[in-house]
Amino acid sequence: MPEPTNYTVCPRCECPRLEHVHSSPVPGVWDVLQCARCLYMWRTSEPARRTRREACPEGFRLREEDLAAAVETPAVPPLRGTL
Amino acid sequence: MPHDDLRGFLDALDKAGQLLRVTDEVLPEPDIAAAANAAPRLGDAAPALFFDNVKGFTDARIAMNVHGSWANHALALGLPKETGAREQVAEFVRRWEAFPVEPEWRENPPWAQNTLEGDDADLFRVLPLIRLNDGDGSFYLDKAAVVSKDPDDPEHSGKQNLGIYRLQVKGRRRLAIQPVPMHDIALHLRTAEERGEDLPVAITLGNDPLITIAASTPMKYEENEYGLAGALRGAPAPIARAPLTGLPVPWGSEVVIEGVVEGRRREFEGPFGEFTGHYSGGRSMPVIRVDRISYRTDPVFEHLYLGMPWTECDFLIAANTCVPLFQQLKADFPEVQAVNASYTHGLVVIVSTNKRYGGFAKAVGLRVLTTPHGLGYATTVIVVDEDVDPFDLPQVMWALSTKMNPAGDLITIPNLPVVELAPQARTPGIVDKLVIDATTPVAPDHRGTYGTPVRDLPETADWLTRLQALAARR
Ligand SMILES: [Zn+2]
Repeated sequence: MPEPTNYTVCPRCECPRLEHVHSSPVPGVWDVLQCARCLYMWRTSEPARRTRREACPEGFRLREEDLAAAVETPAVPPLRGTL
Repeated sequence: MPHDDLRGFLDALDKAGQLLRVTDEVLPEPDIAAAANAAPRLGDAAPALFFDNVKGFTDARIAMNVHGSWANHALALGLPKETGAREQVAEFVRRWEAFPVEPEWRENPPWAQNTLEGDDADLFRVLPLIRLNDGDGSFYLDKAAVVSKDPDDPEHSGKQNLGIYRLQVKGRRRLAIQPVPMHDIALHLRTAEERGEDLPVAITLGNDPLITIAASTPMKYEENEYGLAGALRGAPAPIARAPLTGLPVPWGSEVVIEGVVEGRRREFEGPFGEFTGHYSGGRSMPVIRVDRISYRTDPVFEHLYLGMPWTECDFLIAANTCVPLFQQLKADFPEVQAVNASYTHGLVVIVSTNKRYGGFAKAVGLRVLTTPHGLGYATTVIVVDEDVDPFDLPQVMWALSTKMNPAGDLITIPNLPVVELAPQARTPGIVDKLVIDATTPVAPDHRGTYGTPVRDLPETADWLTRLQALAARR
């Protein structure tokens, strides 16, 4: 099982800022990591297609412009009394 | 006997041979989701799955596919497990007549046994979170019933809402929520945001099976889901007050998570493999701050796999999507006989109806599009004659084969609303909709050459009974 320290980038958006979120209750089995930019979260024991940048399928990759283009759903309404 | 909690129902499933315990050690991913993906393919009597030996966890208990077959859905309604889909919808219609059966407040909910507050309210300490599909942005909670109130009218119990929304885990104390604009919680959130406030919510996990069915029923805004749960139970649904928010939550829940949807804030969410059998794209959606978690000792984490239909999700939202559409159509058009909205949450709706006069079936089809649920879902409506069973797809295909002439029987209406998750929309949230009239024209509509239809022989019904009896004795 790969050590969390082996992870240098987000498998999805390649961001190098990763955060450690949780460790397995049985010590040393897996960790949960998260990308600080796209918020992708994964367990280190998941298959490589979900955890390794080089194995992440093209269709699941995210670019910075995808994040910037994300539509607000639902849109934030105007405050009352400001119309 | 109605079940007061999930555990009672799991025992009942076990007794009926509808619970498969996976005792071998499994990986949290991809094993549990893959097993739940596979389970409904065992057929109409597919069992629920129970995992309690999950690698890396010490006391994880995960239930999957609890509603994932017609047999399990029948047992949830207290019916024999052999009851067919059409009969279950008919029984659902009958029980709806008793709506609303007001809930009863009950003391000492089992979820009050343990509490985590503030910074200790860490989702990972309570729930064995797992990912479902490869492209999901994170772990999700997708079978939790979320309780909220109308901030402008908080005492109105009808305007309370209990609904199932996808919740992405974004951190130890952070979730995202997807309030589809057609759903009640989106109205609550909009009101809170117009007032410049956060929206308090209680997220209840591991509920009795009828709470889950009621929470996923597309009811009208002022209809209370607990009133439906009671009608389905044939007895009041037990509820209790959530300690932090005061919201009414199911008495029997395994876990109650309280917090707020943070007003006027959006953040990247998704993608998530959705009920349409496609991933939603990533969007900027509201965020929930978790402030308190209450839970039963050794809680059972109930989760739902969804993907290309049919999965558990489709069994959960088949009958309960048909019934409100039927009720709402029937109110204006008593000629309507039955509604089958079992496919992809009613993106396709099949209605059988008598015809008052020529053109009537088309009017019924158009009405489907303006029901509260139809506004966001129904994209194709097929209308068939009263003697065609909309649940019998070969009969529906017969009607399409012989009654429908594209020259006059296809009505498209451009640019109507649809859930943003509907993949066929060119602009998400807007789609052209289609009504197909596959009924026999009646006067003054004289199109076609419909002479004398072939009917069942008068003796056929008796012979069906006789053959069934013979087959059973074989
Ligand atoms: Zn990332």
